Amino acid sequence: MKAIEDVPDNQLLLFKSCMVGQEYPGVETSTCYIFDRLGIDYCINDEQSCCTGIGHYTDVFEGLTTAAIAARNFAVAKRCGYPNITCLCSTCYAVNKEACETLNTNTEVREKINSIFLEKGLENLVYEKDDMNPRTNFYHAVEILLSKVDKIREQKKFDFSGIKTASHHACHYYKVKYLDVLGNPENPQLIDNISAACGAEPVRWYEDRTLTCGMGFSQLHLNKDTSLQVTKTKLDSLQRAGVELMLHMCPNCQIQYDRYQPVIEREFGVKYDMVHMNIAQFAALSMGADPYKVCGFQTHSVPLEGFLEKNGII
Amino acid sequence: MNAALDKTAVFICHCSGNISERIDINSLKKTLKAEGIPVFDYEYLCSREGQTLIKNKILEGKLDRIVIGSCTPSKHGTLFKKCIQEAGLNRAMLEIANLREHCAWVHPDKAGATEKALSLIRGKLNRLENHKPLEEIKVNIVPQALVIGGGIAGITAAVNLADNGISTYLVEKESSIGGNMAKIGKVFSPDKLAEECAMCSLSPLMNEVVANPRITLLTWTEVERLSGSAGNFTVRLRKKSRYVHDNCTGCGRCSRVCPVLVENEFNCGYIDKKAISLRFSQSVPKIYCIDPDYCLQFKGETCGKCVEACKSGAIDFSQKEEIIELNVGAVIVATGFEEYDVSQKPQYGYGFFKNVITQMELARMLGINGPSKGILVKPSDFSLDPDAVSSTSTCSTERSLENSSEKGSGTPKRIVMIQCVGSRDEKEGGNRYCSRYCCMAALKHSNLIMKKYPGTEITICYVDLRALGFYENYYRAVQDIGVRFVRGRPAEIVEKPDKSLLVRLEDTLNQKITELPADLVILSAAMVPSKGTRKIASILNISQDESGFIKERHSKLRPVDSSLDGIFVCGTAQSPKDVTDTISQAGLAAIRGSAFIADSPKALVNEIPTINQLLCDQCTECLKCPFEAFSLNDSGKVIVDPLVCTGCGYCTELCQKGAIQISGFTKSQLKAEVEGVVKEGDLLGFVNSGIASITCDNIGNSALTYPSNVKLVKVPTNLVVDKDLLLHAFKCGASAVLFIEDPPDSPKVEVIYPLTISHFEKLKKELGDSGDRLYFKKAYVPNTRGLAGTFTSLAREGEMI
Repeated sequence: MKAIEDVPDNQLLLFKSCMVGQEYPGVETSTCYIFDRLGIDYCINDEQSCCTGIGHYTDVFEGLTTAAIAARNFAVAKRCGYPNITCLCSTCYAVNKEACETLNTNTEVREKINSIFLEKGLENLVYEKDDMNPRTNFYHAVEILLSKVDKIREQKKFDFSGIKTASHHACHYYKVKYLDVLGNPENPQLIDNISAACGAEPVRWYEDRTLTCGMGFSQLHLNKDTSLQVTKTKLDSLQRAGVELMLHMCPNCQIQYDRYQPVIEREFGVKYDMVHMNIAQFAALSMGADPYKVCGFQTHSVPLEGFLEKNGII
Repeated sequence: MNAALDKTAVFICHCSGNISERIDINSLKKTLKAEGIPVFDYEYLCSREGQTLIKNKILEGKLDRIVIGSCTPSKHGTLFKKCIQEAGLNRAMLEIANLREHCAWVHPDKAGATEKALSLIRGKLNRLENHKPLEEIKVNIVPQALVIGGGIAGITAAVNLADNGISTYLVEKESSIGGNMAKIGKVFSPDKLAEECAMCSLSPLMNEVVANPRITLLTWTEVERLSGSAGNFTVRLRKKSRYVHDNCTGCGRCSRVCPVLVENEFNCGYIDKKAISLRFSQSVPKIYCIDPDYCLQFKGETCGKCVEACKSGAIDFSQKEEIIELNVGAVIVATGFEEYDVSQKPQYGYGFFKNVITQMELARMLGINGPSKGILVKPSDFSLDPDAVSSTSTCSTERSLENSSEKGSGTPKRIVMIQCVGSRDEKEGGNRYCSRYCCMAALKHSNLIMKKYPGTEITICYVDLRALGFYENYYRAVQDIGVRFVRGRPAEIVEKPDKSLLVRLEDTLNQKITELPADLVILSAAMVPSKGTRKIASILNISQDESGFIKERHSKLRPVDSSLDGIFVCGTAQSPKDVTDTISQAGLAAIRGSAFIADSPKALVNEIPTINQLLCDQCTECLKCPFEAFSLNDSGKVIVDPLVCTGCGYCTELCQKGAIQISGFTKSQLKAEVEGVVKEGDLLGFVNSGIASITCDNIGNSALTYPSNVKLVKVPTNLVVDKDLLLHAFKCGASAVLFIEDPPDSPKVEVIYPLTISHFEKLKKELGDSGDRLYFKKAYVPNTRGLAGTFTSLAREGEMI
C-alpha cells in the first residue's frame, strides 16, 4: 500500500492524456490551476507521446509496442529531470506502471526494445533495468491532490456544503494495481476525501459502488447494449441515493457517464438528475477557477449550468 | 594441527538429507581428517542414538572440545550442551556450526555450500582454541507466578498453577474475569451436537479462582512494566480505582438509582448499562464499579444517589488507584483476541446497515443476559425502552422486547451468514490466516436459531467449510436440519428501503451470480490479537508474528514458550483457536510455568560481562550502563548483576582499559572465528543474537537463497565489535562487513538500538576510507526476503571489487 506521506510534490511530469486532451481539456487545465496554487513542482513535456492505452485495450497495439513507447516516455521524463510520472487518466497510470514492471523484470522484452532503439540510432531511449521504479515513479494526479488536501481546504473560495457527491474511483487505478493504492483498495476514499475538503457531502456507500463504468474500451462499441446497461445500473443506484454530482478520476469513465447519460435517458426512457465532473475540476472550481476558461465545462454533454447557478457560481 | 585442538572432534548431522543433500559431507571429512581432526557423521545427531554417539566418542577419545555441524543452535543448542555436560565437559567447550539455515538451505550450489560449510566449521574450531570453561551462574526462582488476562485461558492457567501448589496472581484489566467466553452464551463441543451453556462451564471456574487460597485475583488492573529476568521478574501493576470498596454486597441498589446510561462494551456497544454497574450479572468479583467518564459526580455535578442507596457504605468517590509491585518467577500471557474491524469491508455495510452484525453480536443477542434477552430480533426494529432500563438493576429490556415480539415484525425470517470476513483474505487490511473458530460458530448459531425459530431460512456463504475432526458430525447435523450452504465470498450487500438486505455473490459451484434476500446478515469476523495482547507483547518484550499474535518459540517443540525464558503464552493471544483448544493450551502453559518454577535454582545464560580486576582502574565509565547492571561493591570493585545485565556489550565499548569482555564473545574468540570463517571477497555479517538471528535463520526456513560468500557470525549485539576486529576482518579478506541488528520494537532494544547506531557511525568514521565497506541493517522477522536481498546485493558488490 502506498503511504500518503510518500507522495512527492516535486519533479512531477504531468503526463498528458489523449482522452483528457480530446474530450475534457478542462481536467488538465484544472489540475494545472490547482498545482500552481499549491506550489507543486511539475512540468508538461511536449515530447511525450500517448501511452497507447486506448489502442492497447482495443487490440490495436500489442504489448511490445506499448512497452517500447513507455520506455520512450520514461526517457523523456528522466531527461527533463521530472521522473515522477503523474497521470490524469487512470489508464495511462496503469499502462505506464505495468510497462515499467515488464521492462524491469522481463529481460527478453527489454533487450528486444533496446536493440530496436539501437538499430534506429536512438541510444538516448535505451532503458536499463530499474531506471524507473514502478512503485515510486508513478502517480495519479488525484494522489497529489489528496496529499495536499489541507491546502485545498484552506484555499477554497466556494463552499459546496449540502451537495451530495458520489465518487467513482477508476478500475484502472484501484483494481489493476490493487496492492499499490492509497488506502484500502476495497474502499478507496481519495475522491471522497477531496470532495469533503471542498465542503461537499460524499455519500459513504452506494449500491454497486465498485461496479465498472461499463465502457470496457471496445465493449462500448462491440457490445453497446451490455455496456450501457452497466452504466445505467450505476446511474439508477446513484439516483436512488439522491446524488447530485458524480466525481471521476478517469476521462474514460467520465466519457461513459457524461457523454452517454443523455443516450441512456433517450434509449431507456429514463431521466437522471446528476451531473459529472473530474475531481480536479471540482476542486479547482471550489478554489475559484473560472468554470469555462479553466474547468472547461462547455465541453460536457450533461449541462452544468443548473448546478453552477444553484451554487451561485454563475 | 594446533596443540590446543588435539582432543577436539567434529560431529556432522545429515538432518535426514536436509544437510547431506546440499553439502558433500565426505569431502568435509576428508579435508578435516587430513588435518588430523576426527570427524563423525550421523543421520540425526539430535536423536538419542546421535547423542549416545557423541557421548561415547567423548569418553573413548578423552575429547575435550567439540564442534557440531547441524541445524541452528537456537533449535537444539540446549540439547547438545546438555549432552556434552553429561559426558563431563563444560558447556563452553561446545560450538555449533549452523550448516542448515545458514548453509544447506540457502545455497543451492553444492560446491559453494560445501566450501562454506568447511569455513564455518573452521571458524568454530578456531574459536575453541581460546575457550575457557564458563562458571555456572545460578539463581533461585521466585516460587510465584503471574497470569495476565482473565479469560478462559488465563482462568484455566491460574487454576492449574494453583493446583500444582504455586501461588498465582491473576490480573485482569476489566472489572470482572470471564473474557470473551462470558459473552458468547453457548459453546459448541466436538463430541455432542448439543450446545453447552458457556456460563455454566465458566461460572464454577470463576468462583474457583476466588475460592482458591493460592490465587490472588486483581481485576481492574493493568500491567505497566516488567523488569528483571527469567525466574525473578519484578512486575509493576496499576490497579485502577473502582470507587467502590470490597465490602460491596453486589445488591445492585446503586445501579437502580443511577440516572446515567452508558454504552455497554460487554453487549457490543448497546447503550444498556449504568455509570455504576457490574460487567455482567455473574461478574467475579461481584463488586460494582463506577465509570468516571460518565458518572455525574466526576463531571462536577452533585448526584450521590448511589451513595445514598448503598447500605454498606461501599461507595467512595475519593478512592485512589494503587501501584502494586510483585516478584514472580514465571509469567503466563493470556490476553486474548478481539474481532476484526469489519467496517474495513464497507461493501458489507457494517456500521451503516443496521441489520448487518457480527457473530459476536449475534452471540450477545442470543445470550439470555444479552441486550435482547436471548430473543432474535432485527436490530433495525429493536430499540431499548429507557424506562425499562432505569427501573431495573442490570438493564432488563424484557418489556420493550415483549412489545416488539408481540408484533412479530422484529424476528428475522431470512438470515445470511458470511464466512471469512477478514480471514483468508489476501487484500490490504485483511488477514491471510484462517481464524479457525468461525465455521463452527456459524454452525452453532444456525443450529440454535433453527431449534428456537423453526422455519427460519439460514444460508451460510463459505469459502471452504472447516469442521475439523469430530466437528464433522456437527456440520452434518446442521446440513440435515435444512441450513443452506453456498460456496462463494459475497461481493456486496444492498440495503432496501424497508431495511431488508440483498447479498450478492457468485455461487462458485455452479458459477452463477446469485442474490440472497435477507432480514439479517451475520459477518463471521476474523480473530485478531486484542489491543491488550499487542500492548503486553511490547511491555514484556516478547516476539510477535506478523499479525501481532505472540509468537511461540517453536510451533511443535515449544508451543507455549514465548521468545523469553520464563514467559509463556496460551489461548488466542498466541493464535486463533476455539474454547476447547484454548483450555488444552492453557493447561500446558500452566504445566510449563510450574515446571520452570520447580527447576530452582536455575543456571543462567552466562554470556555476560566478566571484569578483569587487574586491568580495571575503577574509572566507573561502565556504570553508564543503561540497564544499571554495574555497581561498586563495598571494597570498591566493579561488579555486575547477572539478573539485570542484558549482555548487550555496551560496557566493552565504555571500558577504555579493555578490562571488560563478554563471556563467549571475547575479542580473541571473535577474532579467531573471523579468521576461520572469512575468505577473500566474503561479505561478513555480525548478527545480533536476538530477532536478527531468528530472521537470518528464517531465510533458510523460507527457502530463499543468497550467495555462499556471505558469512554470518553471531554476537550479542554489534557493540562488542570494535575497530580492531573490523580491521582484522578486512585483513582476512572480507570485502564488506554488515551489522545486522534487532529493530527497536521492544523496551530493551529501544535502549540498545540507538547505541548500536552511534557505535556503527563512530566505527565508520574511525575506519576512514574503509568505512565505506561497513554497512548496517535492521532485521525484522517478517522481512526475510528483504534481508536475503541485502545479502545478495552486498555480496555481488563485493565480487565486483
